[in-house]
Amino acid sequence: MLHRASGRAERLISDPLIGILGLVLAAAVVMAFVQPTFLSLSNLTNIGGAMLAIAFLSIAMTVVLIAGGLDLSVGAVMALSAGVAAAVINNGVPLAGAFVAALVVGTGVGAVNGFLVTRLEVPDFIATLAVGGITSGFLLYWTRGVPILGYMTPAYEYVGGLRRLIGPITVPMLVLIVLALVTATLLHRTTIGLRLYAVGSSAAAARSAGLPVNRLKVYAYMFSGFVAAVAGIYLAGRTTTVPPSMGTGYEISAIAAAVIGGASLLGGKGRVLGALVGALLLTLTRNIINLTGVESSWQTVLTGAVLIGALLANHSWGDLVSLLRRPLRTAAHTEAYPEPTTREG
Amino acid sequence: MMPGRRFSRLIGTDGAAIAIALLLVGALFAVTVPEFAAVGNLRYFVAEEVPILVITAAIALTIIVGGIDLSVGAVLGLSAGVSLWTSMSGLGPVPSVLAGVGTGALFGVVNGLIIVGLRLNDFIVTLGTLNVAAGLLVVLTGRIQLTGTDDDAYVAIARTPLLGVTTGILIAAAVAVLMHLLLRYTTFGRRVRATGLGVEPARVAGIDTGRVKFLCYVVSGSLAGLGGVLLASRLNSVQAAMTSGYELTAVAAAVLGGVSLAGGRGGIWQAVLGALFLATLRQGFRLLGVDPMIFAMITGLCIIVGVVADRSLRDLANRLTLRDTRRSIGVAQ
Repeated sequence: MLHRASGRAERLISDPLIGILGLVLAAAVVMAFVQPTFLSLSNLTNIGGAMLAIAFLSIAMTVVLIAGGLDLSVGAVMALSAGVAAAVINNGVPLAGAFVAALVVGTGVGAVNGFLVTRLEVPDFIATLAVGGITSGFLLYWTRGVPILGYMTPAYEYVGGLRRLIGPITVPMLVLIVLALVTATLLHRTTIGLRLYAVGSSAAAARSAGLPVNRLKVYAYMFSGFVAAVAGIYLAGRTTTVPPSMGTGYEISAIAAAVIGGASLLGGKGRVLGALVGALLLTLTRNIINLTGVESSWQTVLTGAVLIGALLANHSWGDLVSLLRRPLRTAAHTEAYPEPTTREG
Repeated sequence: MMPGRRFSRLIGTDGAAIAIALLLVGALFAVTVPEFAAVGNLRYFVAEEVPILVITAAIALTIIVGGIDLSVGAVLGLSAGVSLWTSMSGLGPVPSVLAGVGTGALFGVVNGLIIVGLRLNDFIVTLGTLNVAAGLLVVLTGRIQLTGTDDDAYVAIARTPLLGVTTGILIAAAVAVLMHLLLRYTTFGRRVRATGLGVEPARVAGIDTGRVKFLCYVVSGSLAGLGGVLLASRLNSVQAAMTSGYELTAVAAAVLGGVSLAGGRGGIWQAVLGALFLATLRQGFRLLGVDPMIFAMITGLCIIVGVVADRSLRDLANRLTLRDTRRSIGVAQ
C-alpha cells in the first residue's frame, strides 16, 4: 500500500506537466503583484477567450502527434472552415447548416491529408505544409483577399463567446470541456485510442500486430480537420470577421502547446490535459506581454522561441529527472541486492 | 533495340524531367503570349525571382544533407531589412552587405547549434526560427520605415546592367554554379551527400556528420542573408511579411527538381530549374491575366505532384530497367 502510494507520488513528481503547471502558477502569482489588472475578471475571461482557439488546435495536433504524424495545416483549415461557415450564413442558411458545412470541409481536408500521407506516402510535414498552403491559398483566392463580414447573429454571438451563458461561462468553453473529455476518453478508454498510441510508437510493430495502420492514421488526420473546423466556427464568432490571414501562425502555437503538454514529434506520446496546459501557458505568456506594455509585434518572436524551448524542455526533462533519481534508486537497489563479489579466477 | 532501357535512363537522369517540363512550359507561353519571350520581360522577371533562386539553392543543400531549413524565407526578409537599415544609417555598401549576410549567417549558426548540438527536430526548430525572424522584421519595420536609402552604391549592387542582364541575376547565377560545384566536386560535397544518404554509415566511414550538418545550416543562413541583400538593393524598400510563403516556393522548387526529402539525392542546378519552372508558370499566368492569388494553391499542388511524380517515375525507371535486364540475360518474366 505504502509502496504503491510512493510509486504514484514518484510518478507525479517525474510528470513534466507538474513543472509546467508550477511555471504557470508562478507566472500568475508574479503577475498578480506586478500588474493588479491581471486578476481582474475582464482580463481572466480575455485569457480564456484567447486560449480557446489554440486549445482546440492543440488537442487536434496532440491526437495527430500521438498517431506519429504532424498536421501543419490546422491553422489554414481553421481559417477556411471559418470562411465557409460565414459565407454559408450570408447565403441565408440557418446556423446549424453552416456549421455542418464547415465541419464537413474541415474533416474533408483532414481526409486529404490522411490520403496523401498514407496512400501516396508523402512525408507528413511536407504533405500537410502543402495542403495548408493550398487551403489558405484557396481562401485568399475565393475571398479575393477581402474579409468576410456581416454574418453575425445573436445566436452566433453565443457560439463565439461574445454573449455569456451563466456568469463567466460561455458556450465555446463548454464545447472545449466536452471535446477534451470525449477525446481523452477515446484515447485512453477505447481500443481505437490505444491503437493510435501503438501506431505512433512504432508503425512497423503495429502493422505486424495486425493493426490497420493506414486507416488509423487517416482517422487521426480527419479528427484533426474536424477539430480545426470547430476552432474555425468559434473564432469566426469571436472576431466577427474572417480575414484570409486568419489562421496564420496558429499551427506553430498548436505544435508548441502540444509539445509543452508532453506530446513527442516521434509519436506515441501526448495527453489532452497536457495540450490544454500547453495552450494555457502560451496564452498566458502573450497576455503578460500585452499587460506589461511590450509591443505586440514581439509575440511572433516569442511564439517561435517558446516552440524551440518547449521542444528542448520536453527533450531534456526526462534526462533531468532520471539524472536526479538515479543515485537514490542505485543506493536502494544495492542495499536490497548487494553486489555479488567477483570471483577471483 | 531496348526502348524501355533508353526511356528509363532518360527519366532516371537527374534533372531531365524538370528540364523538359521547363522547356515545354516556356515554349507554351512563348507561343500563346507574345510578350512573354520579349528580352526585357524575361530580364525583368528573372531579376524578380533572384531571392527565390538563392534560397532554393540554400534549402536544397539542407535537404540533401538530410535536414531542412524552413527559416530561409523569413531570414531573407529580416536580412533585407537589417541590410537596408544599415545602409540608411549611412554606413556605406560594404558594412550593409556584411550586416545582411551576417544576420543570415547568425540564424544559420543558431539553427545548426540547436539542431546538431541539442539533437532536436530540424523541421520544427527552423519553423520556430522562421517565426523569430519574421517577428523581428515586424518589430524592426514597426520602429523604422525602411523606405529607401540615398546610397547609390548600395542600390547598384543588384541593379547595375552587365552582360545584358543585371548584377543581381549574375550574382544569383554565380551562387547556383558555386553551390553546384561545391556539392558535386569537393570533399565537403561528398560528405554532405554521404550524410544525407545515412548518418550512421557516414559516421562509420569517419565523417564528422554533426560538423557537416552544422556547416550546411550556416551556408544556408548566409545564402538567405545574401538573397536579402539582393532583394533590398533591387527594391530599395522592405516591408514586414514581404517574404512570407517564400519557404513554400523554395521547397516546391527543390522537390520539383527531384531533390529527395529523404536526403542524399538531388542537386543544386536541378532545384534551380525547379525554381525557374515555378517562376515561368507564375509570370506566364500573370501575362495571361490569371488571378495571381491562385498561385499559392499552385505552389502547394506542385509540392505534392513533385514528391509523388518523382517517386513514381523512379519506380517506373527501375521496373523497366529490371525488365530489360531480365530479357537480355534470358530470364522469363
